[in-house]
Amino acid sequence: MKGEHIGELEELVLLTVGALDREAYAVLIMEEIKNNSTRNMDVTAIHSVLRRLEKKGFVASEMGGATAERGGRRKRYFKLTQAGRKVLDETMNLRMSLYAKLPKLTFSTLS
Amino acid sequence: MIPNPPKWADRFLQWYCRPELLEDLQGDLYEVFTHIVSIKGERRASWIYIWLVFRSIRPSAIKINVKVKNSIFMQSKINLKVAFRVLKKDRTNTIINLLGLTIGISCFILLGLYVKQELSYDHFHSKKDRIYRSWLKEDYGEGKIFFNANTPLRFEALFEENFPEIERSVQITKFDFLTGKGENKLQEEVAVISPDFLQVFDFKLIAGNTEFPIPTRNDLLISERFATKYFGTENPVGKPFYLSIGPELREFTVTALMEDISDESSVQFDLAISSANDSELYGDQVRQAWFTIVPETYILVKEQSAIQTVEAGMQDVVMSYLEGEVERDVYQIGFQPLTDIHLNPDIPLGFAPVGNPEYVSILGFIGLLVLIIACINYTTLSAGQSIKRSKEVGVRKVMGAPRKGLMGQYLTESILMSQIAMLLGTVIAVLLIPTFNMLTGVTLTYTFHWWHIGPYISIGLFIGLLAGAYPALVISGFKTVSILRGSLQTVGGISVRKGLVVVQFLMTVFLLSTTLIMKKQVSYLKNADLGFNFEAVISTQLPTNPEAQRMSQQITAGMENGALLKSRLEQFPEISGIARGSHVFGTNGWTGLAYTDDKGVFRRFRLLVVDDDYLDAFGIEMVDGRGFDAQNGMDQRQSVVLNETAARYFDLEQPVGAKLPGNDFGEHRIIGVTKDFHFTSLHSEIEPLVIVQNIIPIARGISDSDIGDTLVPKLVFTYSGSNLARGTEILKKEWETLFPNESWNFEFINEKLQDQYQGEIRMNRLISVATILSIIIASLGLLGLIMSVANAKLKEIGIRKVMGASAGAIFKLLSKGFVWQLLLAIALSVPLTLWLMNNWLENFAYRTDIGLGLFVISAVLSVLVAGLVILYHTLRAIRVNPIKSLRVE
Repeated sequence: MKGEHIGELEELVLLTVGALDREAYAVLIMEEIKNNSTRNMDVTAIHSVLRRLEKKGFVASEMGGATAERGGRRKRYFKLTQAGRKVLDETMNLRMSLYAKLPKLTFSTLS
Repeated sequence: MIPNPPKWADRFLQWYCRPELLEDLQGDLYEVFTHIVSIKGERRASWIYIWLVFRSIRPSAIKINVKVKNSIFMQSKINLKVAFRVLKKDRTNTIINLLGLTIGISCFILLGLYVKQELSYDHFHSKKDRIYRSWLKEDYGEGKIFFNANTPLRFEALFEENFPEIERSVQITKFDFLTGKGENKLQEEVAVISPDFLQVFDFKLIAGNTEFPIPTRNDLLISERFATKYFGTENPVGKPFYLSIGPELREFTVTALMEDISDESSVQFDLAISSANDSELYGDQVRQAWFTIVPETYILVKEQSAIQTVEAGMQDVVMSYLEGEVERDVYQIGFQPLTDIHLNPDIPLGFAPVGNPEYVSILGFIGLLVLIIACINYTTLSAGQSIKRSKEVGVRKVMGAPRKGLMGQYLTESILMSQIAMLLGTVIAVLLIPTFNMLTGVTLTYTFHWWHIGPYISIGLFIGLLAGAYPALVISGFKTVSILRGSLQTVGGISVRKGLVVVQFLMTVFLLSTTLIMKKQVSYLKNADLGFNFEAVISTQLPTNPEAQRMSQQITAGMENGALLKSRLEQFPEISGIARGSHVFGTNGWTGLAYTDDKGVFRRFRLLVVDDDYLDAFGIEMVDGRGFDAQNGMDQRQSVVLNETAARYFDLEQPVGAKLPGNDFGEHRIIGVTKDFHFTSLHSEIEPLVIVQNIIPIARGISDSDIGDTLVPKLVFTYSGSNLARGTEILKKEWETLFPNESWNFEFINEKLQDQYQGEIRMNRLISVATILSIIIASLGLLGLIMSVANAKLKEIGIRKVMGASAGAIFKLLSKGFVWQLLLAIALSVPLTLWLMNNWLENFAYRTDIGLGLFVISAVLSVLVAGLVILYHTLRAIRVNPIKSLRVE
């Protein structure tokens, strides 16, 4: 049970990895999160989260080809694993089911 | 050219980062760097790159060194788990070990607290490093030296005016004044302090004028306990407070309330008035005098200045005032740091009593000794138990455990043990403080601060390492092959263990003999024949006449008041031996006088002014001539009695009928010589003493005086009833009818005499406690050791029992070996004890012989304790059914 739990930031990164589909590497993930939300993150945090996710088995990684702009260094590409997909689905389901239970008249009860 | 990030940051990243993560992380950082260069320029980008390199330091990214991974630290978690299990499994042993260590640590902490208290006297002042007390030493050569911590009044101005290095100079004097007006006057000690005294010392003011506590000459500072005594729960600030100064009744206003001064302060007072009153307290002559000493003078040196500069310039300044009066270097002024006062017996006493630094270091040493005994205990016990662990070690070694790893395991055990013992020991010590204070007569307090945890843990760590090092070495050194072949490992280094046991016994026997010798000396001090009777003798300080100014007038007034009281007390049949005298026994500081005799020799002696009953009342024997005769008028005016020492000191072959060798004395004649009696404590030798009824003929011939205890007469009487308290009641009743305006007081002479040896009695008690504890620890150690011997000889004992061995034979078997160790320890302890105790006994002019008897007692005692422990175990071993022990594989 312990391994299946993911935090909010982990969830965000995991979703982005899934959304980028085979193109995901740390700098791009960072850019994507910056563009889609107002969060400003630095690349070291993304690295740390990715390592954690990989250890839990939610993402898998492999090295890509060399590029000149990075001083000849290769990129590490991440992709979602089965387990990663499953934990995302579960999180979404949990949210949706809880969301569905919100009273429809929330606003009127508040006022 | 493509800009590059700083090389050193790159290298740093490569150094710490795990190799498998390095390439893409570094690549990503490069990408970000290039991106930022294009927007914000290279400089900015470099900074951000460095920042990112440091941000990347996370546990998941750090390269783990193989050596670090296998080290004791990384393994400590598993070690700790195993250690807990081992300690839980072998309960008896754990408890014996823990008990020994805990007792040792408690004792160490208690003695440590005492030592710390003695060492931290006066350390609570924030400016303590800049505060000095001045002393004055007049050295006229030929042993004519006057050395005092009290100084002339003019020093305050002298220091402030002549030395820019001195920020402030303040003085304190103490007077006994009667407080209150009308009836119920009480005599209290009042300090006269410079108005800026509290700018130098950090005594906390809690109410009233906390900035300038006593701004004018009519203001008074009071401590909390005295505020409660005089005003109860009311706020004392603004209230009037009356003091009788000389013949005048003065009204003071309480302007400040001060927190009680802690016991750990050399400067003590409860009531204080400003030195602006000096003009009323002293004549002009005294205030300007160079050779009359009254107050203690403290200085506060400026922050950047050194006291040496002041000392170096002192003679020039002194000579600018005293040129022509004294020669250079005769009138010496020096300084002593405030924090040095409490434990420096080389500088004369000021107002505060001084501790004995020797006693403090002896007690610290003994605390350490007990701790070492406890550590040795653990060492011998665990080494003894190691036989049980041999299989475990064998298996671990086969599985590839390195020796260092095994040592780590056993050290973890001992450290865990010592930390638990540290915790228990501290708690026990803190809980025992009140008992300890009661037993030993010290006043320890303990307040916990969070930072204490650091030292405690490190002490625990140190003890653990110290105690566990040897067993760890032994156990980890077992040979794998022989263990696994099934042969029982002979416990490594039995000789080392025996050596340690000898050391342990040595220390214990040493402590035991020390305690006994000290006890003997203390009881010698208490029971020595002092040469006079003091049982059930009560003394009281007589009031004098307020108008009496000169010393001789005060003595006369006191004597007259004493005669009134005497005539009233005489009607009680249970009161006898009523007499008056300027000094009574149990007070050091009998008036010392000095003069230069007709041959030019500088002579010092002590003076006692008495009435005609005094010598008889105390049962002082005469060896030559006669004592004072009430019927003889000559005796009252001019007769002199000497003690034997004085007769020798003045070179009088035929003392009776002779005169003191001096030109200026008034008409006088020696009528008798008393047997020597100890009028000072037995620390010092008997000094020459001159006893007179009339002070004037002697006073005329002397040049210098040193008055410690006041010369104003006291009245003494012996109470022969059964209840001493009744004696004081009679005194109180008669006193109140005669002197309604004076507070009555009394003292028991024998109590005063005992008080002189407080330091020795206290130290003896402290050491007794330490000794008892160390005996307990040492017998625990012996118990454990014999247990392990018995375990090793389990089969042997079984076989012997089957063959019909008696209990005595088994006792012999178990005690073999220990007897020799014990005897060796006893033999070795004798010279050590002799050396240390002879050193200590040199503190006393009169001392007991050490004698061999005490060593025999302590030897017998320790053999007895050891024998009992062995006997206990023999009985246990005998009760085991031999079948059980023989079946052990």
